[in-house]
Amino acid sequence: MSDAENGKQAADTRLLPSCNQHEEFVVTGRMVTVRPKNGHPSAVSTSSEESVSSAGKLPGRNKKLMGFPVTRTGRAPEKRTDLLAAPEVLTLEELAKRAIDGLDYNGVMDQLADLGPEGRVLLFFREGKLARAEVFEDPRICKDLQRGAVIHNLEQIPVDVSGWRVHEFYIDSKGCLGEVCTRCLRVCPEDAIHLKGDGASSYCEIDPTACKGCFICWVECSRKAADCIQVDGKTFDSELRSHHFGE
Amino acid sequence: MRQLLSGNAAAAWGFRLSRVQCYPYYPITPSTACSEQVSHWVGNGEMDAVVINVESEHTAASAVISAAKDVRAGTATSSKGLLYMVEVLENGGGASLPFTIFVGNRATGAPINIWGDNSDAYAVRDSGLIQIFATNAQEALDNIIQAYKISEDLSVRQPVLANLKGFTGTHTYEGVETPTPEEVDAFLPPYIPLEPLFSQDHPVTYGAMLSGFYYRRHKRNQTAALTNALAVTEKVGQEFGERFGRTYGTFEWVGDSNAEVVIALLGESAGAAEAALDHLRGRDGISSLAVLKVRLFNPFPAKAIATALYKAGTKAVVVLDEGLPHGDVFPPLAGRIASSLQLHLGSHMPRVASVIGGLGGSEIRPDHFQTLFNLGANIAAGRPYRREPYWLDIEEDPILLTDEKKVDPKLWKQYGEIWKAQSIQHQYHVPFPSTNYEVRLYGRAGQGAITSAVFFTGAGIEHGLQVLTKPTFGSERRGAVVHADTLLQTSGGRKTRSFGGKQDLVGIYDDTILTSPAHAPARDVKPGGVLLVNTNRYSPERIREMLNLSDSSISIYVVPGSQIAHELRLGGFINMVMLGAMHRVCPHLDLDAALPYYQKNVPQPKEANLEAIRRGYQETTDHLIEQAVPVVVDERAEAYFRWRPEDETLEDEILRSLEVARGS
Repeated sequence: MSDAENGKQAADTRLLPSCNQHEEFVVTGRMVTVRPKNGHPSAVSTSSEESVSSAGKLPGRNKKLMGFPVTRTGRAPEKRTDLLAAPEVLTLEELAKRAIDGLDYNGVMDQLADLGPEGRVLLFFREGKLARAEVFEDPRICKDLQRGAVIHNLEQIPVDVSGWRVHEFYIDSKGCLGEVCTRCLRVCPEDAIHLKGDGASSYCEIDPTACKGCFICWVECSRKAADCIQVDGKTFDSELRSHHFGE
Repeated sequence: MRQLLSGNAAAAWGFRLSRVQCYPYYPITPSTACSEQVSHWVGNGEMDAVVINVESEHTAASAVISAAKDVRAGTATSSKGLLYMVEVLENGGGASLPFTIFVGNRATGAPINIWGDNSDAYAVRDSGLIQIFATNAQEALDNIIQAYKISEDLSVRQPVLANLKGFTGTHTYEGVETPTPEEVDAFLPPYIPLEPLFSQDHPVTYGAMLSGFYYRRHKRNQTAALTNALAVTEKVGQEFGERFGRTYGTFEWVGDSNAEVVIALLGESAGAAEAALDHLRGRDGISSLAVLKVRLFNPFPAKAIATALYKAGTKAVVVLDEGLPHGDVFPPLAGRIASSLQLHLGSHMPRVASVIGGLGGSEIRPDHFQTLFNLGANIAAGRPYRREPYWLDIEEDPILLTDEKKVDPKLWKQYGEIWKAQSIQHQYHVPFPSTNYEVRLYGRAGQGAITSAVFFTGAGIEHGLQVLTKPTFGSERRGAVVHADTLLQTSGGRKTRSFGGKQDLVGIYDDTILTSPAHAPARDVKPGGVLLVNTNRYSPERIREMLNLSDSSISIYVVPGSQIAHELRLGGFINMVMLGAMHRVCPHLDLDAALPYYQKNVPQPKEANLEAIRRGYQETTDHLIEQAVPVVVDERAEAYFRWRPEDETLEDEILRSLEVARGS
């Protein structure tokens, strides 16, 4: 978390929705504090502990709220002000394409060159400025996998799954209702159906590399796929229909 | 800053100083106090973290794993709690997430047992966690700070279990050096979320399903990262030593550098082993000895340990495991040491014997280690020995018993040849001297014997003495007899945590304990020791008769503790009175020296408690107490004792006295 985010969180206070008539709960960052509601008699008291006791409740009764500790003393936590942003991890080639102010390029690139393809530099930024650079050897033996088998969603290349399906699916643009319907487009679990064209001439199209042949579009089609979704070149197959619909 | 902390509180300080940001927990004995302390700090604003009170350890582990994707996270658990976490814990290592779990090591049922051994840590040894063992509260604190540095290292990024033995570690109060937050900040950099869970610019998927091709490649990476923890642990321990003066490695070698006989073990029992080592080293007829304290259990420092034993020319290694082999050849530590030595030293490896002990809180005393050194010396001399584990305190092996007649004669047929070859070498069994000042306080649960002992320990530590208190905890309910042992080190030398078992001072908080058939409070008082009793009905002479105490060098003192507490309106709280009385009879810590600590720390009502300490000190005597005021009569109890089933008239009286007692 950056300083800016931290500061924003500290400044951002809001009230928790609550049906409590006497007290309200204020969220500040990750902490929840409790205070008497305006207008309630206990609000004039200087000590919230006193107000709880005078109200005849057990002391400390409201010190926890849904698992979140509630601050009553108002003592400031040990906040740190030198939080660094999450670092960037770069290879030698990636670093060479960047211009980073304040970085000892010669030193860092020498170290990276010594480590070879396993070398990585870790760049720590604080408020947008480089705070620290550390060179380390990438510990991965199998480089094709991210740490923790994490998948970087935006870097994923669509995989050709055309080999998965048994039947070939094709939407006949003449029979398709296009943007009036788009039912198949919405139900496709593989996001393999896309709307083409505009208005009356619009129609749905199946991406043959993304279609796994699950039949969902064919089942859900508002036209019951008649004259519309062809399976293996056929718009109607009594055997298929009886299999799916028990006809 | 040196302060009095229990092992649990020291662990909590470790989390606080590491600036843990998320702490989900579910309480379980004996690690609950750690989580309660963290929760308390977060609740009063002293610690900036989110505490989540989850509904099970399974959820606690799930929450820690989720949190560790973005922030520094930790939790504490024990025994079945840790085992309940196992199902999700592997996701921590598999997802390459650094976090720390403090484990107060405890036995695992069935049968149910709440006391300490390493069964829980052993049970999760194959779950991909780095495991570090601490031998005392100081190490527990230091280990948690280092655990974050190790686990967050870019070449590691794996979770850590920071282990400390339940009760004898987690509940022992001792002096702990607590670093300042600034010092720890300089040592431990902020958390680096390498793959944050909720990043709009770089969305990621954790826990995707992988086919065998990718799965095995990922597991290869994970294993490599875990192995990297070996070097990183050494590096971090070294850096910690440079900053804080306490250097750590993957293991510690204590004793002769050329030790022929080595005892290897994990964790808190090392205190008793070191005490035995110091006692035996340098005596005639005793070979060179050492204790190998394994700190990093997982990943196991196989090569480093094999090299150390080879360089020392060790001939026999006796490995103490506080856990079971469960059908394996050896229990986990012995198995790892044996395979490491075979792998790295081959035919040059020393002989390895395995011993199982300390199960379910069974005591491990220095005299046990005297026996184990004897066993090791026999093995080093080339005598035959058992290839399956030995068991401490089971009447099975004559070598582990002083009276071999206790052994089942049938077992002689099975092991007779080995036993004949083994010999008890008396030079290893020289009685253990009890040179330190030891105190045992007997009270009934609720009378504050432990509180007195802890305050006494705190005052001693502030005065610069080496003091620790080890209370007993069991299944006793309120009213049962409990005791607390306090050790005041007067012998100098290396800091010890090992009790000799003979007391210089025995305090008895309730004179009914004098006649308790289950307790013989004067049995282990040293000659010249002191017996201190809270009573105003028995004279010291009468107490001597009651206990059948023939040793005239043992002094008996009495103090009217209950009467003083009643007069000061402290109710039944006699702990402060007895604390003052302890100072009267203890030659090592004057009340004047301790008073500044009490003035700062005694609870409310402060003045009455301080006055109780003063009066306890002044009114302790070795004469019969003159009863200036009549003995306080508990009307409720008197009425109860007078009542007979046939006597209906007393019923109203009892009910009336109960109303008085309740204040209604």
